[in-house]
Amino acid sequence: VYPKERGTPYKLLPFVVVLSPAAIEVLETLFPVPNSQPQSRKKDRMQEKIAEEEMVTPGEVLGKGSEVKAGRGAYIAPYNNTVYASLTGRRCIVPSSPESPDQRPTVEVIGHKAHGPVPEPGCVVIARVTKVMARMASADIMCVGSKAVREKFSGIIRQQDVRATEIDKVDMHTSFRPGDIVKASLSLGDARAYYLSTAQNELGVVSAESMAGGTMVPISWTEMQCPLTGQIEQRKVAKVGA
Amino acid sequence: MEAKPSSNLSSKFVDQVVVPGDVILDLSSMANQTIKLGGGLRQDGDSISVMKAGTLRFTKPNKYWVESSHKRYVPCAGDNVLGVVVDTKPENFLVDIRGPALAFLPVLAFEGGTRRNIPKFEVGTLLYVRVVNANTGMNPELSCMDASGKAAEYGVLKEGYMFESSTGLSRMLLSSPPYPVLEALGKKLSFEIAVGINGCFWVNASQSSTVILVGNAIQKSESLSMVQQKIYLEKLLKSIQ
Repeated sequence: VYPKERGTPYKLLPFVVVLSPAAIEVLETLFPVPNSQPQSRKKDRMQEKIAEEEMVTPGEVLGKGSEVKAGRGAYIAPYNNTVYASLTGRRCIVPSSPESPDQRPTVEVIGHKAHGPVPEPGCVVIARVTKVMARMASADIMCVGSKAVREKFSGIIRQQDVRATEIDKVDMHTSFRPGDIVKASLSLGDARAYYLSTAQNELGVVSAESMAGGTMVPISWTEMQCPLTGQIEQRKVAKVGA
Repeated sequence: MEAKPSSNLSSKFVDQVVVPGDVILDLSSMANQTIKLGGGLRQDGDSISVMKAGTLRFTKPNKYWVESSHKRYVPCAGDNVLGVVVDTKPENFLVDIRGPALAFLPVLAFEGGTRRNIPKFEVGTLLYVRVVNANTGMNPELSCMDASGKAAEYGVLKEGYMFESSTGLSRMLLSSPPYPVLEALGKKLSFEIAVGINGCFWVNASQSSTVILVGNAIQKSESLSMVQQKIYLEKLLKSIQ
């Protein structure tokens, strides 16, 4: 453990030891770690939260579906109606609000690391288009709402999700180009990528560069103009501002 | 690309060699007309300048472009090209047309093509295809049918051999009146030839020696002048008698 070099005294170097969960619990009772809650859960601070000191790992049983509801970091398996954890962290039980008809408490798992924002279905994201193909465009999600993400999330804008009218006559090339910044709404999609939709007036290309290199100015629902050359290029433009 | 004002006189650089940076037209002294700029030209405010080295060409009433010969092909909608199949996917064949990106040939883009009779192309099959669209940033899309849906001459090219040349030579081979080398060879030998505008051509004949002869003659003729071509061909055809 201690490297021995000629002529130098022994140095105490830090070293890593892997402990069993039981040993971790013992250490935690001796040296308790302050419970840090991630910022995105502000609204939950209104209700009382009892964060247990016990760490749970993905797959651990948190309770029965008839007794508890599955919250964040937990899911309910339909075949045996049991709530399992899907994240590593501390189990936390949120009591139900007195008005709701369902009086079961919600069990959640609070991760011990602060993660960046994760896209949720229905939120509006800002993405950069990376590749445009005949029937879809792929995009890298950069912001969820107004917060930048910390990991890479891929999204796909399908031909039928570009606009609300005449969806089978959409030409992807006149809607997006690689490098465009788009505002889109998100849905969960498949295993490879989230599905993004720009089928509303406020969604679509927010910022784009022309072929000459200038940042283009939107002039209509479907056209943007380059200030350097005056050329008009076609995009699916988002309606920004009042 | 279009520019708003234009000129009655054509530029004095027409049919001359131009290099990037040359200004061929000054629009500030022109009346209100439209000129059409083809490849290799760019509008910078009031002046039209050259982006690609080559020969400036002009056709009436108002088209300017720069013609040059490259070994590299830039796909353009409407071109007839030779492609080699490199991969098969469920919806498309991936075809190499010697451009910056692989092109997609949809499996249904054949005359009478349905899901039941999808052609089976092996990797390495040579095809004569038409470029349907070649948007920037996207892979070009191909088709084995002409615009009206008929097979025309598109499809697999069996046997024979594909030779590489440059885009300039392909344009010369396809020009009318016919290229003198082709005429002279055609009088003495019988062969069939398919020219792709992407810088390659395919030759087939009953004997391989004919194929080699025709291919080499065409490739060599690109660097010879008209007179030299005549002398070369005479010598060549005499030697095979």
